[in-house]
Amino acid sequence: MATISVATRFVPVAAKTDTEVRLAMQRLWLTGRILPVGARLQVHHTFRSSEEKPLEVIYAFGLPRDAALRRFRVRGEGFSVRSELKPVEEAVKAYEAGLAAGHLSTLARQYGDGLVNLTLGNIRPGETVTVVLEVLAGVETHDDGLRFRFPFTLAPCYHGKARAAEVAPGVGELELPEDEFGDLILPRFAADASDLHEVGFDLRLAMPGSIREIASPSHPLRIEQADGSASRVLLATGREVPDRDLVLDVRTRNGLEGVLSGLDTEGHGRFAAVVPSRTFGERSEAPRQVVFVLDRSGSMSGAPIKQARRALEACLGALAPDDRFGLVAFDDRIEVFRGSLVEGSAESREQAREFLRGVDARGGTELAAGISEAAGLLGRGGGDILVLTDGQVFGTERILAKARDPGVRIHCLGIGSASQDRFLALLARETGGVSRFLTPRERVDLPVVDLFASIGRPVAAGLEVKLEGIAGGRIAPEPPPAVFACRPLVLFGESDGAAEGRLAFAWDGGKAAVPLQICASPLGETLRVLQGARLITDLESRWTGGEESGAAVRREEQRVDRKLEELSRAYGLASRRLALVAVVERAGDQPGELPKTQVVPVGMPQDTAFASYFRRPGPAPSVAAAPGPVGVLWSLAEPARALFSRRRAAEPLAYEAAPAAMAELEVYEKAADTLLELAARMEPDGGMPGTTEEERVQATILALLSFLAGGNTENSGAFRSHVRRLLAFLEDALHIHPVVSRIITLARQGRTLEGDWPARQPGPKLWAQLEAEIPAELR
Amino acid sequence: MTPGPAPAFSTVLDSDKFLPYAGDVRGREKLFSLQELAAETGLPARTIRFYIARGLLPGPAGAGRGAAYASEHLARLRAIRKLQAKGLMLAEIARELGGAKLEAGLPEPSAWWSYSLQEDVVVWVRAGLSPWRTRQVRTLLAELASRLGAEAQEEEKDDGND
Repeated sequence: MATISVATRFVPVAAKTDTEVRLAMQRLWLTGRILPVGARLQVHHTFRSSEEKPLEVIYAFGLPRDAALRRFRVRGEGFSVRSELKPVEEAVKAYEAGLAAGHLSTLARQYGDGLVNLTLGNIRPGETVTVVLEVLAGVETHDDGLRFRFPFTLAPCYHGKARAAEVAPGVGELELPEDEFGDLILPRFAADASDLHEVGFDLRLAMPGSIREIASPSHPLRIEQADGSASRVLLATGREVPDRDLVLDVRTRNGLEGVLSGLDTEGHGRFAAVVPSRTFGERSEAPRQVVFVLDRSGSMSGAPIKQARRALEACLGALAPDDRFGLVAFDDRIEVFRGSLVEGSAESREQAREFLRGVDARGGTELAAGISEAAGLLGRGGGDILVLTDGQVFGTERILAKARDPGVRIHCLGIGSASQDRFLALLARETGGVSRFLTPRERVDLPVVDLFASIGRPVAAGLEVKLEGIAGGRIAPEPPPAVFACRPLVLFGESDGAAEGRLAFAWDGGKAAVPLQICASPLGETLRVLQGARLITDLESRWTGGEESGAAVRREEQRVDRKLEELSRAYGLASRRLALVAVVERAGDQPGELPKTQVVPVGMPQDTAFASYFRRPGPAPSVAAAPGPVGVLWSLAEPARALFSRRRAAEPLAYEAAPAAMAELEVYEKAADTLLELAARMEPDGGMPGTTEEERVQATILALLSFLAGGNTENSGAFRSHVRRLLAFLEDALHIHPVVSRIITLARQGRTLEGDWPARQPGPKLWAQLEAEIPAELR
Repeated sequence: MTPGPAPAFSTVLDSDKFLPYAGDVRGREKLFSLQELAAETGLPARTIRFYIARGLLPGPAGAGRGAAYASEHLARLRAIRKLQAKGLMLAEIARELGGAKLEAGLPEPSAWWSYSLQEDVVVWVRAGLSPWRTRQVRTLLAELASRLGAEAQEEEKDDGND
């Protein structure tokens, strides 16, 4: 049965007071095209003034991953004007001059952390103006598909020098230090987003080959088959509130493999190649050194921290005895499990679990300190760091600068309804790791186990890529030094023109090549700007700006500045050095009138507690060591009410799933829970616990069959590394019983036996039962 | 976004030589355009407009091309900068600057926690700080409290020895 949610009709009336809401920005609509290597998006902002004076509106938003602004168009009654790209100082001057002359002026300016202020001045009373902003954005690629994320809201983030307060019931303000963020204006954060502007999307998906699945953990979708191989993806409910990012999952039938190419407007060849990780063969089984870094800041409280804890417990189960691991939990303080790396022995893993049980979400997010502590644990031997965080931090360029230093790979699992995808993608890429992000309403534990299986053992290390037979061929940005299982290698490049040649790869212990054809398709221009957006994002992350430092650092900053300006001009894309501006002269513009300035508020991300950033005056929770406060002098606080409205969350999103599907989902979830539990109980030698050797072998076979039945094999599934370790244990136990070798053969073929294996117990009868189940050809 | 009503100009500024909005303003005191005010204070024009809309700063005298800002505006902006440097947020500055001299009614109250560390030591902390700041302060207070406690015990011991 399909029930349609009631609150879908958007009316600009405040839910609580029934008074009309005067929204300066009424609508934010996302259109555009998603390709396997990035997206070319148009973001439509509709502004309307209900003021009696001219209006100046400021909308603040964060860029998606690997994104840059290209241009915008301002549309209103009788005009449609295109923006110009100018150095920031000139753009601001043009904006101010236009404003003073009474013209409609628009400025899009980028600040640190990929934050943008879109400012629109002199909207007349009653006038409606639309700004259509073109944004190039990256996607998270997987061997079999991609994940796309677009921020519909802005998360308040932690910064050591930020000031935050609740200024009215359910309304928070956050101010950032000016020396780092200049005149950036942040929005007010509304605990309840239901009175804010409406958001929605209408996107095209163009994938090679056929699409197996399009899904979203964030929004209800409607999917239409568009012309050719493209699909049209729309918001099923028609409109939504700005309290979470849009997340789209696309899975293809035959993988993302392939080359997109074309000629740009100047006739140069442009290409983007997606090379699946299996091109580089199997990964090595060398021992690894991993430090887990768990964000325990207040914004992680609730489901995210619980899920992260469980995920880490399962990761501990996947450690081999010659692996060494460490564990760091941080908020604005750091807690380290045992001060050094420890072996993956049963005892230390049990102690690590004990340590994790005591970890709860609380203070700020000093991510840089957590990472440097983890890097310190790894020491000179190097290794990998796995960070589990919502990434809700400001001042990320400085964190990146610190993270690059120690030369360790950082992998990120971002969790959040408005997680800082741009930052976490950069953090992983700049250190040679991989990142994944999730929404808090998805399972966090399975993906982290999956991510963990790739960590520490790239399928290719010391990678070098060459273009062969392509005139003027060049790859930029630089290819990553390593490739990991399940994550394809994505390369952007250019050539003198149409060409045919190949991409040759060499890595430690292997080489391969794939054909590369650059043909004359109109896609070239899109590929050019997507490449530019990647290059600019990488460079932006190296600009820490404003920090007091030595002459050498300042010279480096100037170099980055110059390079950024060059890149911006070459690709025609905005950056922190170049801004977009447009001035529209309308008939009857009156100079000199001072517009009223308004900032567009945004909704708190759905799963971030308002109180973790904005605390109202009220009884403080008591901390054991600190003396409790004895009194409050004045209180502005209104009678306590729910800080964080869950009204929308409690409603059915759009269509209730059919009962059968729900039951199926429940079974799936339970099975996954069981596997996680099994993974956590594994011994360091790869076997399951038991009192005798025979009992251990039997328990291990039962566990193996459970993983196989759950769709995991040696090389696929989240528990692939667990399967491999169970198999390795059984290889050494062939003498126990002839059935053992048959089970191994079965598993290597990716097959399993029917039966409720997790529920079975070891015992004298089990051998006979197994023998009866094993197919005849293996007996 | 509903900033409170801007306090009436005459009640806000310390200077009693403040001049009324209209009339013979020009020629009696140095006046600034918005751009000049921006150049003088180092604040972007957009930021100044934002402050005006939030009621932190009165609007200009006159309208259209004749809109002008006086030295009081300059003084007010400098006062805002000073309070910002002290760590106050704009909402608090608006209260601080606007509230003190409001003639009608009481000033807007602000909430403070009082921590009694010892019988003779009380520390005041502004309520409604961000959670991480609150934790920093409380950690330090706990330290201070335990040190004060230790000192007191030492003294008692000393007293006993006498």
